[in-house]
Amino acid sequence: MIDAMRETLVQSHGRRAEFGAEPTAILWLGDDAWLTLGDGSVRHMTDAGEVAAHPVHSGAILAACRHPDGRSIVTGGDDGRICRVTADGDFLELGRFDRRWVEHLVASPASGLIVAGVGREAVVWTPGATGATGPSHRYAIGSTIGGLALDGKGKRLAVAHYGGVSLVYAATAGSGRVALDWIGSHLACTMSADGRYVVTALQETGLHGWRLPDLRDMRMSGYVAKTRSFSWDRRGKWLATSGDACAVLWSFDGKSGPMDKPPLLLAERRGAIVTRVAFHPRSDLLAIGYDDGVVVLTQAGDDRPLLVDEGGAAITALSWNDAGTRLGWGDEGGRIGILDMAARA
Amino acid sequence: MSSSTIPVTVLTGYLGAGKTTLLNRILSENHGRKYAVIVNEFGEIGIDNDLIVDADEEVFEMNNGCICCTVRGDLIRIIEGLMKRKDGFDAIIIETTGLADPAPVAQTFFMDDDVRARASLDAIVTVVDARHVLARLEDSHEAEEQIAFADVILLNKTDLVTAQELDVVRQRVRTINGQARLHETQNCVVPLEEVLERGAFDLDRILEIEPDFLSEDDHEHDDSISSVSLSSATAIRPELFMPWLRNLTAVQGQDILRLKGVLSFPDEDQRYVVQGVHMLLDGNHQRDWKPDEVRTSRMVFIGRNLDPVALRAGFEACAVPANR
Repeated sequence: MIDAMRETLVQSHGRRAEFGAEPTAILWLGDDAWLTLGDGSVRHMTDAGEVAAHPVHSGAILAACRHPDGRSIVTGGDDGRICRVTADGDFLELGRFDRRWVEHLVASPASGLIVAGVGREAVVWTPGATGATGPSHRYAIGSTIGGLALDGKGKRLAVAHYGGVSLVYAATAGSGRVALDWIGSHLACTMSADGRYVVTALQETGLHGWRLPDLRDMRMSGYVAKTRSFSWDRRGKWLATSGDACAVLWSFDGKSGPMDKPPLLLAERRGAIVTRVAFHPRSDLLAIGYDDGVVVLTQAGDDRPLLVDEGGAAITALSWNDAGTRLGWGDEGGRIGILDMAARA
Repeated sequence: MSSSTIPVTVLTGYLGAGKTTLLNRILSENHGRKYAVIVNEFGEIGIDNDLIVDADEEVFEMNNGCICCTVRGDLIRIIEGLMKRKDGFDAIIIETTGLADPAPVAQTFFMDDDVRARASLDAIVTVVDARHVLARLEDSHEAEEQIAFADVILLNKTDLVTAQELDVVRQRVRTINGQARLHETQNCVVPLEEVLERGAFDLDRILEIEPDFLSEDDHEHDDSISSVSLSSATAIRPELFMPWLRNLTAVQGQDILRLKGVLSFPDEDQRYVVQGVHMLLDGNHQRDWKPDEVRTSRMVFIGRNLDPVALRAGFEACAVPANR
């Protein structure tokens, strides 16, 4: 249980900001947080707390990821544009899709690929492709893309859609496809770093997974809401998921993945729903955000989660910087929090 | 979540009925409201002030064992995306294609929790071509279903038919859907407040049925859609009513296109409203009965193969005086 009288960590070791628009993502370049917002702007928040606003899109930013170079970010909006925003706030248009929405973006520093989900197309930029050259190639998908995921090498791409997942080797325009079929509408998806597992969130709630290469199906059910957030721990042994009153962690240790093993349930809060999960990059800590604005830190075996923040709206973005020294989150109402883990020590 | 959900108006109507005319009127009229408009064809619409979004009409079957549960996957996605820019508009208008079955659109607002938390179906508005509708009803299931699902019907192009023809058309439309609010129009000219942001399916007046239109032997053939309306002056007992309605929709849900009701439960000061699409039901306490309001419980069913006698008997069996 969370003690209501306790001071939150953000008060003692962090800071808050109000941006007035819902953040779609919090991305980190070193210790600086980059927030992509529902008003189309990108906010650069330095570690010293200075904020610069860069108007990039004319509508909402629906998707964002770090550029493979690690020094800039890529944003996609409901204005049909994909932009690369550099550390000094300049931006370059990588692609333009008119009235289609850019709803998904993934990129890999290992392969240098950037992939966008735009309606029924997965659009790929190979390393070196810029706004001048446009996208390298595209894959047509039978229905609107629900989610994208790359494996650890950044080569294999999973595209979730109605009726399952299509797997391609994304660097190659003519890549063969592996069809992972399962009835229903598949939304957010994730792939284990070793590329052995693909997991999707279903419209009806619950997860569906496939083990590769034998395509064995896995079903993970019991969620009260759609899963929108996945996070693998640093060793790739646990997959944390949102969509219930607690964070639901599935074990991918061993050969058969989560089959026949009950999930680990962490930091249950009755009446609330977990909306975001983020494993610490260098420890077993898990950050959890809920639909009532609460953010906690916990780990397996810990029955007293640390209260990081409370009192806001549903958490829509939550992430750690690479060093694991900063945790950032944002809620639907546009309230942002940053926790300085170094200050805790 | 707060109760301030965004109202959604669905515009349907068979090809050529005048849907785009109505949409353009809505968008060009100086009403001081800002709409997000979800369209299916890149038509000749688009006013600077409004937000136009393309839809794909992706109808998804729900993998939940319910045979008639289909939703519009694209609407779920679009409504969620629109909400990220929350303050950008006051209401949402969804235009469907002329050949669309309205059920998946309506069911989206019953089935998806995230959509329900953010948006609520305000009204389904169906534009009907007075000149061609009788022919359309002969060859198109969709034309009939669009009328059946409507909360508001614009019987349009009345200038292109004679008074007698209009009588026939009106009677036919009323046989399919006896409860929708019907406006006879030319060029879809109707005060927009009769169409937009009616509020909660406009249950109050919707259920003031015009009995003439509800005669039960108007069926032209077995497969045609009709309405059945029921009322009871005796309070309805929820412990009888709920199981009856659940069972009814489970068994006959495929044939029941829509149902609506306002109910008076014994010893309760609030009206209970219920609505449904096929097998999906949604009920809520709505507001207090007004002091001078007659506490009549009413229900309307619109669908195929409805048995008015059985429905009436089932409903009346729930209206048992509490002291027995």
